[in-house]
Amino acid sequence: MSVATADGLTLAGRDRRFGLLLTAPGLLSLLIVITFPLFFTLYTSVHDYTLLTPNYDTFVGTENYQEALDEEYLPGSLWVTTKFVLASIVIEFIIGFAVALSLHATRRFGSIYYLILLAPLLINPVVVGLLWRMLLHSELGIVNYTIGLVGISPVSWLGDADVAFWTVVLTDIWHQVSFMAILLVAGLAALPREPYEAARMDGASTIRCFIHITLPLMRPVIAVAILLRLIFAIKTFDIIFIMTKGGPGTATDLISYYIYRAAFFGLDVGRASAMAAGLLVIILALTAYLYRYMNSLK
Amino acid sequence: MANIVLEGVTKVYGQDILAVDNIDLEIREGEFMVLLGPSGCGKSTTLRMIAGLEEVTSGNLKINGEIVNDVDPADRDLAVVFQNYALYPHMTVERNLAFGLKLRKTPQEVIDRRIRDTTTMLGIDNLLDRRPSELSGGQQQRVALGRALVRDPEAFLLDEPLSNLDAKLRAAMRTELIKIHRMLGKTVVHVTHDQVEAMTMGERICIMREGRIIQVGPPLDVYRHPADSFVAGFLASPPMNLLEGKLAGHHGVNEVDLSAISLPVPRHRRAPLRRHAGSEVVVGIRPEDVHTEEPAEGVHRRVDITVVAVEVLGPEVILVADLGSGQEISVRQGPTFEAVAGARIPLYIDLEQIHFFEAGSGLAILHGGASGPVRPELGSYLKEGGPEAPA
Repeated sequence: MSVATADGLTLAGRDRRFGLLLTAPGLLSLLIVITFPLFFTLYTSVHDYTLLTPNYDTFVGTENYQEALDEEYLPGSLWVTTKFVLASIVIEFIIGFAVALSLHATRRFGSIYYLILLAPLLINPVVVGLLWRMLLHSELGIVNYTIGLVGISPVSWLGDADVAFWTVVLTDIWHQVSFMAILLVAGLAALPREPYEAARMDGASTIRCFIHITLPLMRPVIAVAILLRLIFAIKTFDIIFIMTKGGPGTATDLISYYIYRAAFFGLDVGRASAMAAGLLVIILALTAYLYRYMNSLK
Repeated sequence: MANIVLEGVTKVYGQDILAVDNIDLEIREGEFMVLLGPSGCGKSTTLRMIAGLEEVTSGNLKINGEIVNDVDPADRDLAVVFQNYALYPHMTVERNLAFGLKLRKTPQEVIDRRIRDTTTMLGIDNLLDRRPSELSGGQQQRVALGRALVRDPEAFLLDEPLSNLDAKLRAAMRTELIKIHRMLGKTVVHVTHDQVEAMTMGERICIMREGRIIQVGPPLDVYRHPADSFVAGFLASPPMNLLEGKLAGHHGVNEVDLSAISLPVPRHRRAPLRRHAGSEVVVGIRPEDVHTEEPAEGVHRRVDITVVAVEVLGPEVILVADLGSGQEISVRQGPTFEAVAGARIPLYIDLEQIHFFEAGSGLAILHGGASGPVRPELGSYLKEGGPEAPA
């Protein structure tokens, strides 16, 4: 039975009111920094809002969305994004898993390896972009200088369309691979020891243990790690902005940079907002799937 | 069938954590050996060394006469049933059972036949398509047992396999394990901290403490002749009452002084005590060797006590009594016994059955009624733990 207090509220009710009071500032700031831009974008996406005529006088409905879909260069950007996401995640997963397995088996200096591994992840993406742009500079960069010492002619890391794509992929991998590795190593640490011992008694080799025990048992962690990286990779912007500005040509024109260009070079904020809303739907769908998947594991 | 011998086997973890300290033990072919002891006594480590899951730091481990210290676990032809079952969680019951056989390149028809025979024997043939997460604890336990049986190994190593089961299921599985052992006649090493399991299942019990073996022997032997006060206080429930006393009286052996009361030592029992005349001892009295009514036979001493508590268990009643001076004693009584806490009643302590242990080392000096006839109430105690108590 609930107990009423002097102000007519139950104890639980007072608790709730007090809790709401405490969280109000946080909720309010969340509302301002997340919900407001979100609705502002959605609102803008249904108006003819350009930087030349920055007003909401003309309601255009779904016209911006229609225009965005009809754009000549959008499919190209989507394709580049897909390639970028797949390449970086697949390579990050393979390297990350290998690193996680080695770290898991490491008995000494584990924390030192962790520190080294974590360092790139702690660097701001803008700094990562600047760092690699300088390292890979075709005339002044240390990479070209070093390979020049062994007689390899300089590579235009960011100027050649084919090379530039892989350059940004590798930069992203350098930056993010430890995220994958750390998630996976945490997963490995949480695996039960007993099935491995049972497998040893059954006569399973290390490789068989990996295939028949580690991989199946790690499936939930692997799925979560890949989905999280997928969500982040689709949104990649900073590295592109700093290193290539989407070029050369459209070789590294990822969707988020494409949207940025539509808004601030094409000046058509309404259309850019429509594309941003579309991207949001894709990421929301992935997030919802991730959330459901993680819930299904409980 | 395997004969397993440990010679001076020691296990040290890291630099200086001594888990098993120079133990010698022979587990005979076809024997059901129980390693019994409290948590951290080294019994599981010993089992894991036999299995090959832990390296032997020093000493020799022999299976069928061959030193196997460096032999891979898979090549020792032993099967382990783990405490947490250790089933492969993503495989069905059938694949769990088949996994080890497949790795050994057993022909499919042999695998099928063995799985059929084993699952029928264990009554899990209807669970073949299920995954471990879809099974109850008892069913998982059976699958784990089945995975060991299906391999048809030289010996079975059971690492507290019953400790995660509820009391009823545990009693049933005890019986079943004994049956299976009788049927297959294979060597079994069973690790447990449950003395009822040890008493009812083991052909021999090996009692361990702090990495050392304290005593090895058939359950009744160990029960009647505990090597020290630790063993005496570990076996049976309630265990032997251990009271601090001092040998006193004429020549220092005629009686034992328990501060509030003193118990005379019958003349014919005094000889072994002479070496300890006048010194401190631990007096062991089994709960069943104390009576509330004076028995017609035997030599008893009446003491008047205060009832502290009465635990009614159904088939028996445990009376906890204060001997005065704070020393408490548990007394086993029949189901009809009644008393209220605080009441003063007389107790009759059987002077022939009292055990004496050294005060410091706890080593046995004199066992109670050691040379006496087998007492029927002991047999009934054993049967109570499980219907299949070994002879």
